[in-house]
Amino acid sequence: MAVDTTKNAVPFEMAQIPGPEMAKTYNTKVIGAIIKKAKRPLLVVGAEFFEDPEMFDKAIEIGKTGIPIAATAHSIKGFIERGYTDNVHMIGLQPLTSYLRFKDWNGLDGNGQYDVVIFAGIFYKFSSAMFSALKNFNRDIKRISIDRYYHVNANMTFGNLAFDQDGYHEAVDEVIAILKK
Amino acid sequence: MDKMEGSFAVEDMQNVQINIGDVVKEAEEWDQPMGPYPCPSISTLRNWDFKLLNRYRVFYSPICDRCTLCTYGPCDLTGDKHGACGLNQAAQQGRIVLLAVLMGCTAHCGHGRHLYHWCLDKFGDIPFNMGDEILVDAPLTRTITGMKPKTLKEFGPVLSYIEEEVAQLLASTHVGQEGHYMDFESKALHAGMLDSLGKEVSDMIQIISYDMPRGDEDAPLVECGMGTLDKSKAILITYGHNIAGSAEAMFYTEDNDLWNQVDIGGVCCTAIDNTRIGEGLGYPAEINDKYRMIGTKGKVAGAMGWWRKLVRAGVMDCVMVDEQCVCTDALEECSARKVPVIATNEKIMLGLPDRTNDPIDEIVDDLVNFKMPGVAIIDPIKAGEVGVRTAIGVKPNRADEAAHTFLSDEEFQKYAESCTYCHSCQFVCPPHIKIGDVVQEAAKGNLEPFSSTYEICVGCRRCEYVCPQKIPILSMFAYANQEFIKNHKFKMRAGRGPVKDTEIRRVGAPLVLGTIPGIIAIIGCANYPNGTKECYDIAREFVDRGYIVTTTGCMAMDMSIYTDEEGKTIWEQFPGGFDGRNICNIGSCVSNAHIHGAAIKVATIFAGRNERGNYDDIADYILCKVGACGVAWGAMSQKAASIATGFNRLGIPAVCQPHSVMYRRAFLGRVDKKEDWEIIDARDGSRIYCEPAPEHLLYVAESVEECMLMMSKLCFRPSDNSQGRMIKLTHYCDICMKYFGCMPPDWPLYVRHASELPLKWKEGMMKELEEKYGWEIDWKRKAIIVPEPGSDKPGPIRKTDVSFDPTNIERKIRVKK
Repeated sequence: MAVDTTKNAVPFEMAQIPGPEMAKTYNTKVIGAIIKKAKRPLLVVGAEFFEDPEMFDKAIEIGKTGIPIAATAHSIKGFIERGYTDNVHMIGLQPLTSYLRFKDWNGLDGNGQYDVVIFAGIFYKFSSAMFSALKNFNRDIKRISIDRYYHVNANMTFGNLAFDQDGYHEAVDEVIAILKK
Repeated sequence: MDKMEGSFAVEDMQNVQINIGDVVKEAEEWDQPMGPYPCPSISTLRNWDFKLLNRYRVFYSPICDRCTLCTYGPCDLTGDKHGACGLNQAAQQGRIVLLAVLMGCTAHCGHGRHLYHWCLDKFGDIPFNMGDEILVDAPLTRTITGMKPKTLKEFGPVLSYIEEEVAQLLASTHVGQEGHYMDFESKALHAGMLDSLGKEVSDMIQIISYDMPRGDEDAPLVECGMGTLDKSKAILITYGHNIAGSAEAMFYTEDNDLWNQVDIGGVCCTAIDNTRIGEGLGYPAEINDKYRMIGTKGKVAGAMGWWRKLVRAGVMDCVMVDEQCVCTDALEECSARKVPVIATNEKIMLGLPDRTNDPIDEIVDDLVNFKMPGVAIIDPIKAGEVGVRTAIGVKPNRADEAAHTFLSDEEFQKYAESCTYCHSCQFVCPPHIKIGDVVQEAAKGNLEPFSSTYEICVGCRRCEYVCPQKIPILSMFAYANQEFIKNHKFKMRAGRGPVKDTEIRRVGAPLVLGTIPGIIAIIGCANYPNGTKECYDIAREFVDRGYIVTTTGCMAMDMSIYTDEEGKTIWEQFPGGFDGRNICNIGSCVSNAHIHGAAIKVATIFAGRNERGNYDDIADYILCKVGACGVAWGAMSQKAASIATGFNRLGIPAVCQPHSVMYRRAFLGRVDKKEDWEIIDARDGSRIYCEPAPEHLLYVAESVEECMLMMSKLCFRPSDNSQGRMIKLTHYCDICMKYFGCMPPDWPLYVRHASELPLKWKEGMMKELEEKYGWEIDWKRKAIIVPEPGSDKPGPIRKTDVSFDPTNIERKIRVKK
């Protein structure tokens, strides 16, 4: 395994210490396997992808494995520009998280609630708070971050890779490779 | 027996005293009966709150999973755990929200109470007169309390009402009191409403006392920006929100003809209020005779985000702080630069010696000779004189310091090269500036990154606190932006105050029918996620589109520092009326109340609703019929929380910036729950399923693009007529096409009739409705066929009905079915 995603388990905003239950970092193999095993996974991507556009291509690769994508903020634009909108749904992150906490929600495609959500490319403080909402109000959904930050309110996360763009891309590629297997 | 004021003794009756507290005059001037809820107590409007909260579900995103407020704790409340007292996570979040809203509310109300006493002392009991064009003169006071103050003193009972409610609300947060999140939120909504009332009282008092503009769309343009402060003079900065001391500094300067020796620049809302003094209708005479248009001599140094940038740019010789949103290390920052600080309000004394009763000459001597870094003077007149004299006196004494305001070339280079690229700064930067990269580039001689991120930096200084090399990053920013600072010169329209009744008459019908697509209220602080320019972009987008754009506080100041291709600020590009394609600077934070007031006045002046003690009826009208949306794109303080919550109780949605998740809660609708959107038709009591309009009440957006899209969407109302709906839908779709590159996926929800489809895309949309959504289209008539009620066929949620009279309140039903 090329990238050690278990290092640097420090919240990206250092004072973001919620309480006794804090995320563990996992390697890409475990994270990939958990996502692959999910029955109703949802990839949630945000507007930070515009600062690292290569990530749109990686999200599309994940989308092509059959995992639907929720494009939050105006990130749908990145998918439209790449001609990939097949299973991409435009929705705000906060209403999406609000729906995710309701067990009776039928999902973006009407086929039922999700069991695993995977966040990437979202303004750190915002995604941290949304993970917290799920952590506290719908614990049936597994919270995974494949963002470049250590996400303290997730169940599973990478350590901080915010200052290692190549390493981060490599880590995401490793997850994608597992999903494609 | 000694007699108290307001008491009299009855002769021949021994030891009997009859006390008369207040003489309650039945106000003969009211032309309407008292409504059902004058001075509501903390649960009086609970039914209204629950209507809101059942539709707009409370959404919590805890920042802390623990409770540490009593000795049982810390308690872990994560998930379904309860604390030792029994409280669960949702209730704890509601409790924290309520506390935050109370902090904001009391900041505004405490401000009002201070001004009340001070202005009564200074001016006496002056008439409350807003001029001939504002007869509905204190709409929140009338609606909430049922009172109609006629003099300054008559605002006293209004403040007393707020203070009693605040005491009860705060008591409910004690351990073992309130235990359910819905009730905490109802109480938070109550506190938000009180906040709006406190703001109105505060601003009305200062408007009538200092003769500020009373709804003047042509309020003067004043100077704004760091570069407007003249370094050849002494510079006195007045910082905070309460004008009392700052106004006295301006009066002293005028009385002693010192404007050629001193510049007075405001920071935060004191800046806005300085520039409003003496620009009103000419009364009270004391202000008009001596200080007519004195406000135009004050300058807006900057919004709160510019404070530390001003410090590092060296544009101050003396600072007076008053209250609210003052960086509490102001004394440390200033004393390091030999800038004396004068604390002028009991709420911020900074550990300074109280010199209120000392002779002015002695205090000035101590300050100008640096015998002490600052003083507290809780007497506005004395503080104002000391501020001006100290600024003038200390300027030559700190000339050496001023000469070294900026880092030298060598110092800058040394600091840039000392960066170890450890990224500690980047870990704490709120807008995520890649500070390490910026500094590294500077070490190579490239200052561009320091320039391009200067306006993105919110001036929080967290980077400096964590830097292991002790690099003064803000000073490096200042060094790299010296030209920018020098040229930072703009114009801002002075705060105009309330909206005039005549303006409401002009826009009432187009607003309720939707042909003016909405009122946009751009309010709040300066903690922007991506720089100050976004507030200009938001304003420009909506003014261009014909919305009524209103603004207050820091965002009003920050949008002033951008110009169009012709070099015109937004105030020079558009008129200042309350109308479509206009932009109003209403005033400071407390002037926000006039935006609530404008919405209330649509209900009262345009629709003839009685406002007196009738809050829920008015709020219901606004929620159903007045397309208004607030945006706090730099929301930072607890006041922003109380402001938004006050808007929400009055039926006005608000959108906030992504950092606003720190407030922990939102109010979000569920489109998939049809039953949540059932509205009563007041004509006959029938219940109609409506489109989700507005869909949310409090919403955090991730990007400014999403913010603008949501603002346009949250202006939809059930009462829109077809033309109005078409206009609103056009903007909603157009903003989405512009920034998202596609149509919004939920646009069909808002279509009731083919005439509501935007002309630009009408044909394509009809095809999509037919092919993708299965709606029945009559292509010959180009009409949408609305299925019969109860039918399973796909189609619009309801048909258009121009007479539909939506309400959420049963007592508004005129004839029961």
